[in-house]
Amino acid sequence: MKWIALIAVTLTGSLLLVGVGDFPEWGDAHSAANEGPKLESGEQIATAVSQSFLTDTDELTQVPNVVTAVLADYRGYDTMFETVVIFAAGLAIFAILRVFGGDEVKPMRAPEDDTFCEGDHSRIIIGTTCKLLIPIIQLFALYVIAHGHHSPGGGFQGGVIMGASFILLAIARDLKSALDWFSEKTFMRLASVGILIYAGFGVLCQFFERNFLDYGALKTVMFSSEQMARSYAMLGVEIGVAFTVTAIMFAIYANLSSRGELKQGL
Amino acid sequence: MENAIVIISMALICVGMLFFLGAAVGIQRFPDFYTRMHAAGKGDTLSSLLVILGFSIFQIYDLEFSKDWFSHNGVTLLVILKLLAICVFIMMTSPTSTHALMDAGWEDGIEPKLKKDKPNNALKEDRK
Repeated sequence: MKWIALIAVTLTGSLLLVGVGDFPEWGDAHSAANEGPKLESGEQIATAVSQSFLTDTDELTQVPNVVTAVLADYRGYDTMFETVVIFAAGLAIFAILRVFGGDEVKPMRAPEDDTFCEGDHSRIIIGTTCKLLIPIIQLFALYVIAHGHHSPGGGFQGGVIMGASFILLAIARDLKSALDWFSEKTFMRLASVGILIYAGFGVLCQFFERNFLDYGALKTVMFSSEQMARSYAMLGVEIGVAFTVTAIMFAIYANLSSRGELKQGL
Repeated sequence: MENAIVIISMALICVGMLFFLGAAVGIQRFPDFYTRMHAAGKGDTLSSLLVILGFSIFQIYDLEFSKDWFSHNGVTLLVILKLLAICVFIMMTSPTSTHALMDAGWEDGIEPKLKKDKPNNALKEDRK
């Protein structure tokens, strides 16, 4: 059995390595993805839209990170509904698992005293490390969110990091103390507020007789040029995404780990 | 000078890879949960620290020493700082996660493998 697995792994690995050989050169400006589809003879059929993304983005939106510009501006509609998908996933978990009231269930473990950092030898190391790390992780999450249009990052990634910091608190201590920081009411509200922020930026553009999510319309509200308005609106939209993702990450963990009771975690 | 930097960083990276190999062999070969975690925790921590330290020393190669060198080398200094920050992060998290896993295993009742002539009741004595 081991030999079959070894052969399969070797075969898959070498296939992947062979496949890498067919990739276009790294950063090749003439590859199909960058220049558009070509015929066998080398004749250009159409120009790829990525050309205009690469050349015009910095001028039109003042955002150095083209990926964020495409994600939050050119394809803002798509990203908005991606956020809605995450929200819907959270709602589905909530609808399936959440249990209200009911019989008093026996806790999985005997209730302990508050031993986060004092006395208990088995908790002191984990407790101290988490105490040191959670603020750093949250700070880093904020940096990733706020710096999304200058370096890799953005609302989804930063939101996941932020949600993970709350999950870390829930694992290291218990679910109750994490819920003290971030109660169910707060995170369900935050998830909806995130989407409302995103959609609000879209609707706000319509008040200035422009299309939905056409951020350039916000220049009068933002007191800036049209380009900077797009940049600022992207930041606002990313913050909305981050709200939803943070809340839903933690909501999924809290519901799954306590079988929907939100009383006693793992 | 430049050669020395390359040699030092390459040596650190190679030693780190060697420790990685040791950790991998240890995870495969050691007899029970606790010794395997020991190999993973110690080997992984030290080897990733050495490799990343090697990277950050290699970055010194990119520094340009001139009159106002601080303003010229902002990007390189930032890279070195980030690598060192990763070092600190790994130094804190990796041993803690190994400890947490060991602790969970002990609480779950995984027996350590002892010598044949010794009675295997370390857990029972702890639970008394």
